[in-house]
Amino acid sequence: MVVLHFIVVGLLLVILQTTLCMRTPVSFMAPDFYYVLVAYLALRLDMLRGLIVLLPLVCVLDVLSGTILGTYALLCFGGYFFLRQLAVKLPGNEILYHLPLISLSFLAVSWAVYLLLELLQPGQQAAWSWWKMLMRMLLVALCSYPLFLLFDVMQKYSQRSFLSWSRLRLRSDNRRRRT
Amino acid sequence: MRKKPTRKRGDRYRLFRIVLLAGLLMTLALIFLVSTLGSQNFGPLHKLMLEAVGPLQRAVTMGSTYVETFKSEYIDILQDSLRLREENKRLIQQLQENENILNKSREAMATNASLRKLLEFKNSLDQQQVVAATIVGKDPSAMFRSVIIDRGSNSGLSKGNPVVNSDGVVGQVFAVTPNYAKVLLAIAPSSAIDVLLQKSRVRGILKGDGTLTYRLEYILKTAEVEEGDHVVTAGYGGIFPTGLQVGVVSKIIRKPRGMFHEIEVTPSVDYQKLENLLILQQPQFGEIKQMEQH
Repeated sequence: MVVLHFIVVGLLLVILQTTLCMRTPVSFMAPDFYYVLVAYLALRLDMLRGLIVLLPLVCVLDVLSGTILGTYALLCFGGYFFLRQLAVKLPGNEILYHLPLISLSFLAVSWAVYLLLELLQPGQQAAWSWWKMLMRMLLVALCSYPLFLLFDVMQKYSQRSFLSWSRLRLRSDNRRRRT
Repeated sequence: MRKKPTRKRGDRYRLFRIVLLAGLLMTLALIFLVSTLGSQNFGPLHKLMLEAVGPLQRAVTMGSTYVETFKSEYIDILQDSLRLREENKRLIQQLQENENILNKSREAMATNASLRKLLEFKNSLDQQQVVAATIVGKDPSAMFRSVIIDRGSNSGLSKGNPVVNSDGVVGQVFAVTPNYAKVLLAIAPSSAIDVLLQKSRVRGILKGDGTLTYRLEYILKTAEVEEGDHVVTAGYGGIFPTGLQVGVVSKIIRKPRGMFHEIEVTPSVDYQKLENLLILQQPQFGEIKQMEQH
Protein backbone atom coordinates (compact mmCIF):
# COMPACT_ATOMS: atom_id res chain seq x y z
CA MET A 1 0.00 0.00 0.00
CA VAL A 2 2.88 2.35 0.84
CA VAL A 3 4.40 1.59 -2.53
CA LEU A 4 1.16 2.31 -4.35
CA HIS A 5 0.64 5.57 -2.47
CA PHE A 6 4.16 6.75 -3.23
CA ILE A 7 3.82 5.84 -6.90
CA VAL A 8 0.60 7.87 -7.15
CA VAL A 9 2.11 10.81 -5.28
CA GLY A 10 5.23 10.63 -7.45
CA LEU A 11 3.13 10.78 -10.61
CA LEU A 12 1.12 13.69 -9.25
CA LEU A 13 4.29 15.57 -8.37
CA VAL A 14 5.73 15.04 -11.83
CA ILE A 15 2.49 16.21 -13.46
CA LEU A 16 2.43 19.24 -11.17
CA GLN A 17 6.02 20.01 -12.04
CA THR A 18 5.47 19.74 -15.79
CA THR A 19 2.25 21.75 -15.90
CA LEU A 20 1.54 24.29 -13.17
CA CYS A 21 5.12 24.88 -12.09
CA MET A 22 6.39 25.39 -15.64
CA ARG A 23 4.92 28.70 -16.72
CA THR A 24 7.02 28.81 -19.90
CA PRO A 25 9.09 26.16 -21.71
CA VAL A 26 12.28 27.95 -20.66
CA SER A 27 11.34 28.56 -17.05
CA PHE A 28 14.00 27.35 -14.65
CA MET A 29 12.22 28.15 -11.41
CA ALA A 30 10.31 24.87 -11.41
CA PRO A 31 11.03 22.95 -8.21
CA ASP A 32 12.30 19.41 -8.78
CA PHE A 33 9.72 17.64 -6.64
CA TYR A 34 10.74 14.27 -8.02
CA TYR A 35 14.18 14.56 -6.47
CA VAL A 36 12.69 15.21 -3.04
CA LEU A 37 10.72 12.00 -3.43
CA VAL A 38 13.88 10.20 -4.52
CA ALA A 39 15.61 11.51 -1.40
CA TYR A 40 12.72 10.44 0.82
CA LEU A 41 12.74 6.95 -0.66
CA ALA A 42 16.49 6.71 -0.11
CA LEU A 43 16.41 7.99 3.45
CA ARG A 44 13.15 6.62 4.88
CA LEU A 45 12.10 3.52 2.95
CA ASP A 46 13.75 0.16 2.49
CA MET A 47 15.56 -0.49 -0.75
CA LEU A 48 13.05 -2.88 -2.31
CA ARG A 49 10.07 -0.59 -1.91
CA GLY A 50 12.16 2.43 -2.87
CA LEU A 51 13.24 0.88 -6.14
CA ILE A 52 9.69 -0.28 -6.95
CA VAL A 53 8.47 3.31 -6.55
CA LEU A 54 11.39 4.71 -8.51
CA LEU A 55 10.86 2.61 -11.63
CA PRO A 56 7.52 4.12 -12.80
CA LEU A 57 8.63 7.56 -11.65
CA VAL A 58 11.77 7.40 -13.80
CA CYS A 59 9.76 6.11 -16.73
CA VAL A 60 7.21 8.93 -16.56
CA LEU A 61 9.94 11.55 -16.22
CA ASP A 62 11.78 10.21 -19.24
CA VAL A 63 8.55 10.26 -21.25
CA LEU A 64 7.51 13.78 -20.30
CA SER A 65 10.90 15.40 -20.32
CA GLY A 66 14.09 15.43 -22.30
CA THR A 67 15.23 14.04 -25.59
CA ILE A 68 17.74 11.49 -24.35
CA LEU A 69 15.97 8.52 -22.82
CA GLY A 70 17.53 7.33 -19.61
CA THR A 71 18.62 10.75 -18.39
CA TYR A 72 16.20 10.64 -15.50
CA ALA A 73 17.06 7.04 -14.76
CA LEU A 74 20.65 8.17 -14.25
CA LEU A 75 19.55 11.16 -12.17
CA CYS A 76 17.11 9.30 -9.95
CA PHE A 77 19.01 6.08 -9.40
CA GLY A 78 22.27 7.99 -9.07
CA GLY A 79 20.74 10.27 -6.45
CA TYR A 80 19.05 7.36 -4.71
CA PHE A 81 22.17 5.24 -4.22
CA PHE A 82 24.34 8.27 -3.47
CA LEU A 83 21.98 9.35 -0.69
CA ARG A 84 21.61 5.82 0.68
CA GLN A 85 25.37 5.51 0.96
CA LEU A 86 25.69 8.85 2.70
CA ALA A 87 22.69 8.34 4.98
CA VAL A 88 24.40 5.39 6.70
CA LYS A 89 27.12 7.71 7.96
CA LEU A 90 24.76 10.39 9.21
CA PRO A 91 24.31 10.67 12.99
CA GLY A 92 20.62 11.62 13.00
CA ASN A 93 17.53 10.82 11.03
CA GLU A 94 15.98 14.27 11.31
CA ILE A 95 14.92 16.06 8.15
CA LEU A 96 16.84 19.21 9.10
CA TYR A 97 20.10 17.22 9.06
CA HIS A 98 19.20 15.93 5.64
CA LEU A 99 18.29 19.21 3.93
CA PRO A 100 21.83 20.26 2.93
CA LEU A 101 22.63 16.69 1.98
CA ILE A 102 19.61 16.43 -0.33
CA SER A 103 20.21 19.76 -2.06
CA LEU A 104 23.94 19.21 -2.48
CA SER A 105 23.42 15.69 -3.76
CA PHE A 106 20.94 17.10 -6.31
CA LEU A 107 23.57 19.49 -7.58
CA ALA A 108 26.30 16.85 -7.60
CA VAL A 109 24.23 14.21 -9.37
CA SER A 110 22.92 16.72 -11.94
CA TRP A 111 26.46 17.86 -12.64
CA ALA A 112 27.70 14.28 -12.99
CA VAL A 113 24.84 13.37 -15.36
CA TYR A 114 25.47 16.50 -17.40
CA LEU A 115 29.16 15.64 -17.75
CA LEU A 116 28.35 12.07 -18.70
CA LEU A 117 25.82 13.15 -21.35
CA GLU A 118 28.22 15.76 -22.65
CA LEU A 119 30.80 13.02 -23.01
CA LEU A 120 28.47 10.52 -24.67
CA GLN A 121 26.29 12.85 -26.74
CA PRO A 122 27.99 16.23 -26.98
CA GLY A 123 25.92 19.28 -27.89
CA GLN A 124 22.59 17.64 -27.18
CA GLN A 125 21.80 19.52 -24.00
CA ALA A 126 21.75 23.12 -22.89
CA ALA A 127 24.96 24.52 -21.47
CA TRP A 128 25.44 24.09 -17.72
CA SER A 129 24.57 27.23 -15.83
CA TRP A 130 25.80 27.32 -12.25
CA TRP A 131 23.54 30.08 -11.03
CA LYS A 132 20.44 28.45 -12.53
CA MET A 133 21.36 25.11 -11.00
CA LEU A 134 22.10 26.76 -7.66
CA MET A 135 18.63 28.31 -7.77
CA ARG A 136 17.12 24.90 -8.47
CA MET A 137 19.16 23.43 -5.65
CA LEU A 138 17.76 26.09 -3.35
CA LEU A 139 14.25 25.25 -4.52
CA VAL A 140 14.86 21.58 -3.77
CA ALA A 141 16.03 22.54 -0.27
CA LEU A 142 12.94 24.71 0.26
CA CYS A 143 10.56 22.03 -0.93
CA SER A 144 12.21 19.21 0.99
CA TYR A 145 10.98 20.08 4.48
CA PRO A 146 7.23 20.36 3.72
CA LEU A 147 7.32 17.43 1.33
CA PHE A 148 9.13 15.22 3.84
CA LEU A 149 6.46 16.06 6.42
CA LEU A 150 3.78 15.24 3.88
CA PHE A 151 5.45 11.96 2.97
CA ASP A 152 5.83 11.06 6.67
CA VAL A 153 2.11 11.61 7.24
CA MET A 154 1.31 9.67 4.12
CA GLN A 155 3.51 6.78 5.14
CA LYS A 156 1.93 6.66 8.59
CA TYR A 157 -1.52 6.71 7.03
CA SER A 158 -0.58 4.01 4.52
CA GLN A 159 0.66 1.69 7.25
CA ARG A 160 -2.62 2.07 9.13
CA SER A 161 -4.76 1.25 6.15
CA PHE A 162 -6.79 -1.92 6.04
CA LEU A 163 -4.80 -3.46 3.25
CA SER A 164 -1.45 -3.35 5.01
CA TRP A 165 0.94 -6.22 4.40
CA SER A 166 0.90 -7.27 8.04
CA ARG A 167 -2.83 -7.93 7.89
CA LEU A 168 -2.71 -9.73 4.61
CA ARG A 169 0.10 -11.99 5.85
CA LEU A 170 -0.92 -15.59 6.35
CA ARG A 171 -0.44 -16.84 9.89
CA SER A 172 0.19 -20.38 10.97
CA ASP A 173 -2.40 -22.13 13.15
CA ASN A 174 -0.10 -22.35 16.13
CA ARG A 175 0.44 -18.72 17.01
CA ARG A 176 2.33 -19.44 20.21
CA ARG A 177 5.01 -21.43 18.45
CA ARG A 178 8.17 -19.46 18.02
CA THR A 179 9.97 -19.91 14.77
CA MET B 1 -68.26 40.71 75.92
CA ARG B 2 -67.05 44.22 76.69
CA LYS B 3 -64.97 44.59 73.55
CA LYS B 4 -67.83 44.51 71.03
CA PRO B 5 -69.34 48.05 71.53
CA THR B 6 -65.84 49.64 71.32
CA ARG B 7 -65.23 47.99 67.96
CA LYS B 8 -68.61 49.13 66.65
CA ARG B 9 -67.93 52.69 67.76
CA GLY B 10 -64.49 52.68 66.05
CA ASP B 11 -65.99 51.46 62.76
CA ARG B 12 -68.61 54.13 62.79
CA TYR B 13 -66.02 56.79 63.52
CA ARG B 14 -63.84 55.62 60.60
CA LEU B 15 -66.81 55.64 58.23
CA PHE B 16 -67.67 59.13 59.38
CA ARG B 17 -64.12 60.33 58.68
CA ILE B 18 -64.12 58.83 55.19
CA VAL B 19 -67.48 60.35 54.32
CA LEU B 20 -66.30 63.68 55.69
CA LEU B 21 -63.09 63.57 53.68
CA ALA B 22 -64.90 62.52 50.52
CA GLY B 23 -67.44 65.28 51.01
CA LEU B 24 -64.67 67.79 51.52
CA LEU B 25 -62.81 66.64 48.43
CA MET B 26 -65.96 66.62 46.35
CA THR B 27 -66.80 70.11 47.58
CA LEU B 28 -63.32 71.33 46.70
CA ALA B 29 -63.52 69.66 43.29
CA LEU B 30 -66.90 71.23 42.72
CA ILE B 31 -65.61 74.63 43.74
CA PHE B 32 -62.55 74.17 41.47
CA LEU B 33 -64.68 73.00 38.60
CA VAL B 34 -67.23 75.77 39.01
CA SER B 35 -64.58 78.46 39.44
CA THR B 36 -62.55 77.15 36.51
CA LEU B 37 -65.44 76.70 34.16
CA GLY B 38 -66.96 79.92 35.30
CA SER B 39 -64.01 82.29 35.17
CA GLN B 40 -61.87 80.49 32.58
CA ASN B 41 -58.92 81.88 34.49
CA PHE B 42 -55.45 80.23 34.75
CA GLY B 43 -55.40 80.55 38.47
CA PRO B 44 -52.73 80.05 41.11
CA LEU B 45 -53.55 76.40 41.51
CA HIS B 46 -53.01 75.84 37.86
CA LYS B 47 -49.72 77.73 38.04
CA LEU B 48 -48.65 75.71 41.02
CA MET B 49 -49.52 72.51 39.26
CA LEU B 50 -47.62 73.56 36.16
CA GLU B 51 -44.60 74.57 38.21
CA ALA B 52 -44.67 71.21 39.89
CA VAL B 53 -45.21 69.14 36.77
CA GLY B 54 -43.08 71.27 34.45
CA PRO B 55 -39.68 70.01 35.65
CA LEU B 56 -40.87 66.45 35.50
CA GLN B 57 -42.16 66.99 32.01
CA ARG B 58 -38.93 68.71 31.09
CA ALA B 59 -36.90 65.86 32.54
CA VAL B 60 -38.91 63.26 30.68
CA THR B 61 -38.77 65.23 27.44
CA MET B 62 -35.06 65.79 27.76
CA GLY B 63 -34.58 62.15 28.63
CA SER B 64 -36.54 61.03 25.62
CA THR B 65 -34.65 63.49 23.43
CA TYR B 66 -31.39 62.18 24.83
CA VAL B 67 -32.54 58.63 24.21
CA GLU B 68 -33.61 59.54 20.71
CA THR B 69 -30.31 61.31 20.06
CA PHE B 70 -28.43 58.36 21.47
CA LYS B 71 -30.51 56.05 19.34
CA SER B 72 -29.98 58.10 16.22
CA GLU B 73 -26.27 58.57 16.92
CA TYR B 74 -25.31 55.14 18.06
CA ILE B 75 -27.94 52.48 17.63
CA ASP B 76 -29.04 53.66 14.20
CA ILE B 77 -25.41 54.06 13.20
CA LEU B 78 -24.78 50.55 14.46
CA GLN B 79 -27.74 49.28 12.54
CA ASP B 80 -26.67 51.29 9.53
CA SER B 81 -23.14 49.99 9.81
CA LEU B 82 -24.43 46.44 10.03
CA ARG B 83 -26.60 47.08 7.01
CA LEU B 84 -23.69 48.77 5.23
CA ARG B 85 -21.48 45.87 6.11
CA GLU B 86 -23.92 43.47 4.54
CA GLU B 87 -24.22 45.79 1.58
CA ASN B 88 -20.46 46.08 1.34
CA LYS B 89 -20.10 42.31 1.49
CA ARG B 90 -22.68 41.92 -1.23
CA LEU B 91 -21.02 44.58 -3.37
CA ILE B 92 -17.57 43.07 -2.91
CA GLN B 93 -18.95 39.69 -3.92
CA GLN B 94 -20.62 41.29 -6.91
CA LEU B 95 -17.38 43.06 -7.79
CA GLN B 96 -15.43 39.81 -7.55
CA GLU B 97 -17.98 38.08 -9.74
CA ASN B 98 -17.78 40.91 -12.25
CA GLU B 99 -13.99 40.87 -12.18
CA ASN B 100 -14.09 37.15 -12.71
CA ILE B 101 -16.41 37.56 -15.67
CA LEU B 102 -14.21 40.36 -16.99
CA ASN B 103 -11.09 38.21 -16.65
CA LYS B 104 -12.84 35.35 -18.38
CA SER B 105 -13.98 37.59 -21.20
CA ARG B 106 -10.48 39.09 -21.47
CA GLU B 107 -9.03 35.58 -21.59
CA ALA B 108 -11.62 34.57 -24.18
CA MET B 109 -10.80 37.64 -26.25
CA ALA B 110 -7.07 36.93 -26.05
CA THR B 111 -7.61 33.28 -26.98
CA ASN B 112 -9.91 34.35 -29.76
CA ALA B 113 -7.31 36.78 -31.13
CA SER B 114 -4.60 34.14 -30.90
CA LEU B 115 -6.75 31.49 -32.58
CA ARG B 116 -7.88 33.96 -35.26
CA LYS B 117 -4.24 34.74 -36.00
CA LEU B 118 -3.51 31.03 -36.14
CA LEU B 119 -6.45 30.44 -38.45
CA GLU B 120 -5.33 33.22 -40.79
CA PHE B 121 -1.89 31.66 -40.82
CA LYS B 122 -3.41 28.25 -41.48
CA ASN B 123 -5.40 29.63 -44.41
CA SER B 124 -2.26 31.21 -45.79
CA LEU B 125 -0.55 27.82 -46.03
CA ASP B 126 -1.41 26.63 -49.51
CA GLN B 127 -2.94 23.15 -49.50
CA GLN B 128 -0.75 22.14 -46.60
CA GLN B 129 -2.61 19.86 -44.21
CA VAL B 130 -2.36 21.17 -40.69
CA VAL B 131 -3.43 19.94 -37.29
CA ALA B 132 -4.07 22.36 -34.45
CA ALA B 133 -2.81 21.32 -31.03
CA THR B 134 -2.50 22.72 -27.55
CA ILE B 135 0.48 22.42 -25.25
CA VAL B 136 -0.39 20.29 -22.23
CA GLY B 137 3.01 19.89 -20.59
CA LYS B 138 6.44 21.44 -20.55
CA ASP B 139 9.85 19.96 -20.02
CA PRO B 140 11.00 20.76 -16.48
CA SER B 141 14.61 19.83 -17.15
CA ALA B 142 17.35 22.43 -17.33
CA MET B 143 19.12 20.50 -20.07
CA PHE B 144 16.38 19.94 -22.65
CA ARG B 145 13.66 21.99 -24.29
CA SER B 146 10.52 20.17 -25.31
CA VAL B 147 6.75 20.31 -24.84
CA ILE B 148 3.92 17.79 -24.88
CA ILE B 149 0.93 18.46 -27.15
CA ASP B 150 -2.55 16.96 -27.13
CA ARG B 151 -2.47 15.46 -30.62
CA GLY B 152 -0.86 12.25 -31.74
CA SER B 153 -0.76 9.67 -34.49
CA ASN B 154 -4.57 9.38 -34.40
CA SER B 155 -4.68 12.95 -35.73
CA GLY B 156 -2.18 12.08 -38.43
CA LEU B 157 0.99 13.28 -36.73
CA SER B 158 4.28 11.54 -37.30
CA LYS B 159 7.85 11.98 -36.16
CA GLY B 160 9.58 14.89 -37.86
CA ASN B 161 6.43 16.93 -38.61
CA PRO B 162 7.18 20.66 -38.48
CA VAL B 163 5.48 22.57 -35.70
CA VAL B 164 4.66 26.23 -36.22
CA ASN B 165 2.45 28.99 -34.94
CA SER B 166 1.34 32.26 -36.49
CA ASP B 167 4.72 33.85 -35.71
CA GLY B 168 6.86 31.18 -37.33
CA VAL B 169 8.69 27.95 -36.68
CA VAL B 170 8.41 26.42 -33.21
CA GLY B 171 10.05 23.03 -33.63
CA GLN B 172 9.54 19.48 -34.78
CA VAL B 173 7.57 16.47 -33.59
CA PHE B 174 10.07 14.28 -31.74
CA ALA B 175 7.99 11.35 -30.50
CA VAL B 176 4.38 10.32 -31.11
CA THR B 177 1.80 8.25 -29.25
CA PRO B 178 -1.80 7.75 -30.44
CA ASN B 179 -3.12 10.84 -28.64
CA TYR B 180 -0.09 12.86 -27.62
CA ALA B 181 3.22 13.94 -29.06
CA LYS B 182 6.48 15.37 -27.81
CA VAL B 183 7.72 18.42 -29.68
CA LEU B 184 11.40 19.30 -29.76
CA LEU B 185 11.55 23.09 -29.67
CA ALA B 186 13.80 24.89 -32.12
CA ILE B 187 15.66 26.46 -29.18
CA ALA B 188 16.72 22.98 -27.96
CA PRO B 189 20.42 22.31 -28.41
CA SER B 190 19.70 19.11 -30.32
CA SER B 191 17.52 20.94 -32.88
CA ALA B 192 18.92 21.86 -36.30
CA ILE B 193 16.92 23.46 -39.11
CA ASP B 194 17.97 24.32 -42.65
CA VAL B 195 17.46 28.05 -43.13
CA LEU B 196 18.08 30.91 -45.54
CA LEU B 197 18.90 34.53 -45.03
CA GLN B 198 15.89 36.02 -46.81
CA LYS B 199 17.74 38.95 -48.37
CA SER B 200 20.97 37.36 -49.53
CA ARG B 201 19.56 33.80 -49.96
CA VAL B 202 22.60 32.43 -48.14
CA ARG B 203 21.98 29.03 -46.59
CA GLY B 204 22.87 28.04 -43.04
CA ILE B 205 21.95 25.74 -40.18
CA LEU B 206 19.92 27.14 -37.34
CA LYS B 207 20.67 25.57 -33.97
CA GLY B 208 19.24 26.16 -30.53
CA ASP B 209 21.34 26.66 -27.45
CA GLY B 210 18.79 26.20 -24.71
CA THR B 211 18.20 29.92 -24.23
CA LEU B 212 15.77 32.23 -26.00
CA THR B 213 18.06 32.75 -29.00
CA TYR B 214 19.25 30.66 -31.95
CA ARG B 215 22.70 30.26 -33.38
CA LEU B 216 23.05 30.49 -37.14
CA GLU B 217 25.96 28.32 -38.24
CA TYR B 218 27.91 27.68 -41.41
CA ILE B 219 27.45 31.16 -42.91
CA LEU B 220 30.66 31.94 -44.74
CA LYS B 221 32.49 35.13 -43.94
CA THR B 222 32.22 36.11 -47.56
CA ALA B 223 28.41 36.17 -47.32
CA GLU B 224 26.63 39.46 -46.77
CA VAL B 225 24.85 39.46 -43.42
CA GLU B 226 23.40 42.40 -41.56
CA GLU B 227 21.66 42.80 -38.28
CA GLY B 228 17.93 42.81 -38.87
CA ASP B 229 18.07 40.32 -41.75
CA HIS B 230 15.15 37.93 -41.73
CA VAL B 231 15.84 34.22 -41.45
CA VAL B 232 13.38 31.81 -43.10
CA THR B 233 13.21 28.06 -43.60
CA ALA B 234 15.09 26.80 -46.65
CA GLY B 235 12.86 23.79 -47.30
CA TYR B 236 15.74 21.66 -48.57
CA GLY B 237 15.10 18.61 -46.46
CA GLY B 238 11.44 18.45 -47.43
CA ILE B 239 10.40 18.70 -43.82
CA PHE B 240 9.74 22.42 -43.49
CA PRO B 241 8.06 24.31 -46.33
CA THR B 242 10.16 27.07 -47.81
CA GLY B 243 9.89 30.61 -46.51
CA LEU B 244 8.48 30.09 -43.04
CA GLN B 245 9.55 32.86 -40.70
CA VAL B 246 12.20 31.75 -38.18
CA GLY B 247 13.73 34.90 -36.72
CA VAL B 248 15.80 38.00 -37.19
CA VAL B 249 19.59 38.35 -37.09
CA SER B 250 20.30 40.20 -33.87
CA LYS B 251 24.07 39.93 -33.44
CA ILE B 252 27.02 39.15 -35.71
CA ILE B 253 30.37 38.30 -34.17
CA ARG B 254 33.08 38.70 -36.77
CA LYS B 255 36.14 36.80 -35.60
CA PRO B 256 39.48 37.12 -37.37
CA ARG B 257 39.94 33.37 -37.38
CA GLY B 258 37.77 30.67 -38.88
CA MET B 259 35.68 30.41 -42.02
CA PHE B 260 32.27 31.21 -40.64
CA HIS B 261 30.42 34.01 -38.95
CA GLU B 262 29.03 33.59 -35.48
CA ILE B 263 25.47 34.81 -35.78
CA GLU B 264 22.82 35.14 -33.12
CA VAL B 265 19.20 35.06 -34.23
CA THR B 266 16.24 36.28 -32.20
CA PRO B 267 13.28 33.91 -32.66
CA SER B 268 10.16 35.29 -34.30
CA VAL B 269 8.19 33.05 -31.94
CA ASP B 270 7.70 34.14 -28.36
CA TYR B 271 8.56 30.96 -26.48
CA GLN B 272 7.31 32.45 -23.24
CA LYS B 273 3.77 32.64 -24.61
CA LEU B 274 3.47 29.38 -26.47
CA GLU B 275 -0.02 27.96 -26.20
CA ASN B 276 -1.61 26.83 -29.46
CA LEU B 277 0.40 25.23 -32.23
CA LEU B 278 -0.09 24.01 -35.76
CA ILE B 279 1.52 20.82 -36.95
CA LEU B 280 2.18 20.69 -40.67
CA GLN B 281 1.59 17.25 -42.05
CA GLN B 282 4.08 16.14 -44.62
CA PRO B 283 2.46 15.29 -47.98
CA GLN B 284 4.39 12.04 -48.16
CA PHE B 285 2.80 10.83 -44.96
CA GLY B 286 -0.72 10.82 -46.43
CA GLU B 287 0.45 9.11 -49.59
CA ILE B 288 2.24 6.39 -47.62
CA LYS B 289 -0.88 5.85 -45.57
CA GLN B 290 -3.00 5.54 -48.70
CA MET B 291 -0.55 3.07 -50.19
CA GLU B 292 -0.64 1.03 -47.00
CA GLN B 293 -4.43 0.90 -47.16
CA HIS B 294 -4.39 -0.33 -50.78
